[in-house]
Amino acid sequence: MKILIVDDDPIVIQSCCRILEAEGMETRTANTVKTGEKLLAENIFDLMLTGIKMPGRDGFEMIQRAKKIRPDMPVLIMTGYLTSGTVEKSRRFGVSNYIAKPFTPEELVAAVRKARSVCEK
Amino acid sequence: MLFHLIKIHSIRFKLIASLIAVSLLIGLISILVGGNLLYQSVLDEANNRIRQDLNVARVIYDERADTVRLALAITASATEFRKAVASDSRMIVSEALRDLSDRLKLDFLGLTDARGRVTNRYGAAGPEKTPLLSANPLVLRVLEEHKTVAGTMVLDGDKLLAENPSLANQAYINVHAVPETTDAATRQDTVALTIGAAVPVFADGHPAGVIYGGYLLNRDTAIVDKIGETVFKNEVYKGHNVGTATIFYDNFRIATSVKDPSGNRALGTVASPEVTRRVLDQGEKWTDRARVLDDWYITAYEPIKDIMGKRVGMLYVGVLEAKYADVREKAIAVFTGITLAGVIVAIILGWLFTGRIMRPVSHLIRASAEISGGNFSPDVGPISKDDIGHLQKEFLIMTEALKEREKSQMAESEIRLIQSEKQASVGKLAAGVAHEINNPLTAVLTFTHMILRRKDLPDEVRSDLETVASQTERIRGIVKSLLDFSRQTVLTPEPLDINRLIEDSVRLLENQALIKGIHLSFTGDDDLPVFTLDHNQCQSVLINMIINALDATSSGGKIEIQTQKTGTADDSGVEIRISDTGSGISPDHMDKLFDPFFTTKEVGKGTGLGLAVSAGIIQRHGGTINVHSKLESGTTFTLWLPHQPINAHPETDTGQEDQS
Repeated sequence: MKILIVDDDPIVIQSCCRILEAEGMETRTANTVKTGEKLLAENIFDLMLTGIKMPGRDGFEMIQRAKKIRPDMPVLIMTGYLTSGTVEKSRRFGVSNYIAKPFTPEELVAAVRKARSVCEK
Repeated sequence: MLFHLIKIHSIRFKLIASLIAVSLLIGLISILVGGNLLYQSVLDEANNRIRQDLNVARVIYDERADTVRLALAITASATEFRKAVASDSRMIVSEALRDLSDRLKLDFLGLTDARGRVTNRYGAAGPEKTPLLSANPLVLRVLEEHKTVAGTMVLDGDKLLAENPSLANQAYINVHAVPETTDAATRQDTVALTIGAAVPVFADGHPAGVIYGGYLLNRDTAIVDKIGETVFKNEVYKGHNVGTATIFYDNFRIATSVKDPSGNRALGTVASPEVTRRVLDQGEKWTDRARVLDDWYITAYEPIKDIMGKRVGMLYVGVLEAKYADVREKAIAVFTGITLAGVIVAIILGWLFTGRIMRPVSHLIRASAEISGGNFSPDVGPISKDDIGHLQKEFLIMTEALKEREKSQMAESEIRLIQSEKQASVGKLAAGVAHEINNPLTAVLTFTHMILRRKDLPDEVRSDLETVASQTERIRGIVKSLLDFSRQTVLTPEPLDINRLIEDSVRLLENQALIKGIHLSFTGDDDLPVFTLDHNQCQSVLINMIINALDATSSGGKIEIQTQKTGTADDSGVEIRISDTGSGISPDHMDKLFDPFFTTKEVGKGTGLGLAVSAGIIQRHGGTINVHSKLESGTTFTLWLPHQPINAHPETDTGQEDQS
């Protein structure tokens, strides 16, 4: 499974890579929307994991662009605090699942699996 | 102008109107009652007077006959005259009679012999050639009774002619036919009323003759004018004689001082049928107001009887009613004047009074306006001594109370403002910190767990790492609470059965209670309506409350939860009481209870955000949260939620929610 991880904080990217690679998944990372967009255009990913709050273009912008390029790709978002507002907005943007930071490895893996299965349905 | 000064509903207008009404009422009653009473008493007085006047008139009338009687008696008693009569010395008799006639100005005068034959008639054409029997009733009476007779008698035309031919002319009176008195036209108009006397003349103890004389009353002015002079002093009122006197023969005027419109004496006019009937026919005295020709008079009538006692005429006196009616008019005018003066006084007094009364009231009105404007120490003016003064004092007490309340409300809202500012700043700080912590925390959690997956870890390291992992979880809990607190999350209300919600929450914590040995019970009010509340947030409040109670209560204690419907209609709602028999809350802690990060729990057991978050949630539902606690005996938290939810405060700001 090939996963694109987008977040502005290197430690978050690093943590995610560590967990997902341990599960045997292939990861590519981007710390800006621009990079993420470029990677998406060049590769086919099975899932995109993105943070929401980023300087400049934020996670929703990323999701919007990703959906243009790969409409069928499941999207999992990471957020510091899930509010009904975020949930509502995510639904509109076609987000498959959410996960609140901080999370344990097990929680992240479960969230990725769930996002995939939601999308497949 | 007056409309501006007097508003129709103003107290001033009402007071003046009532004063005017009272004055008018009293005035009108005075005019009606007073005027009439006065008039009536004046009228009574006038009636009394006229009766007396009639008596005087009668005396004057009778005096006329008496004068004749006296003079004749003197003549008849003179020896020389008696001898002359006895001896039929005509010369002497004529002399005596002439003397008598000249003195008394009699209309007729005569002498008869003892058998009644007329021997001398003074004023007749001349001495009788052939002496005739006298037909004069006076003579006949004297011959019959041999006594002096004086009084009134009726002489018809022939008899008059016999006595004195010139009298017939004087006696002629044209009787004015009045329609009602149909018989008037048929009356003989030359019949005359006379007054006089007859005296027997004795010679040597034997009747020798009769001397008689008298006056014709027809067209006579002596009596009526004398009455006018002596009784009424010839008083004139507005061109009319006030007092009038009349002698009636039968029912028509033969001698009168009543003047017709052209100023002539109203001879020949007839009395009213009523008067005729009562006085002439029934012989009564009659006193009342009556119309005499064209004017109203207060009148008195009495019958005139002739020497035989037969009613032949009437004597009348009357005074002009106008003179007395004027008394009434004057009285009414005076009373009207007094009434008008009363009205004016009423207006002035009313104006002044209302001014006095209303001055403190206007002050109070201005003061009320000032209070509305926010000035709680308005000027109410000088305190008056009457009832208004009482109102002013009460008003001052009220303003004091208002001032106090305003003060305490201001203090309260200040406290609330400080509280919410404090919460807001703490919340912001907490949120910022939490966000910053989240990312490193993710890394800590990730790597700790990744290391823990390794099978080759020495037990000691594994144990240490597990501690790191669990404490990191703890941090995660704190951060979560901080964010819960700082994020005043939007309510997503849904129809909710409160009892059901509480039952669910209780079920979640039943095991914990069981373990601690605490009896947890719930009694729901069956009558509760369906509420519209945020399910998750309300449940978190309830769970938080129950956990707090569990923490405060030791084994063997009790936690009771009750719901009860409160209020009706607009202010209806539900009261949820959570009572424990725990340690209670120290009074020192009471005011900090809802402050964020305030906790009395051991380090690591509580974040100090539970109650702060709960209070926020309840407030956003438009409800209230209250605590009642007694140290060592327990605490009761009372939540109240309205049936109609107040819209959530627009505190939530979506921009902040999207932080990661």
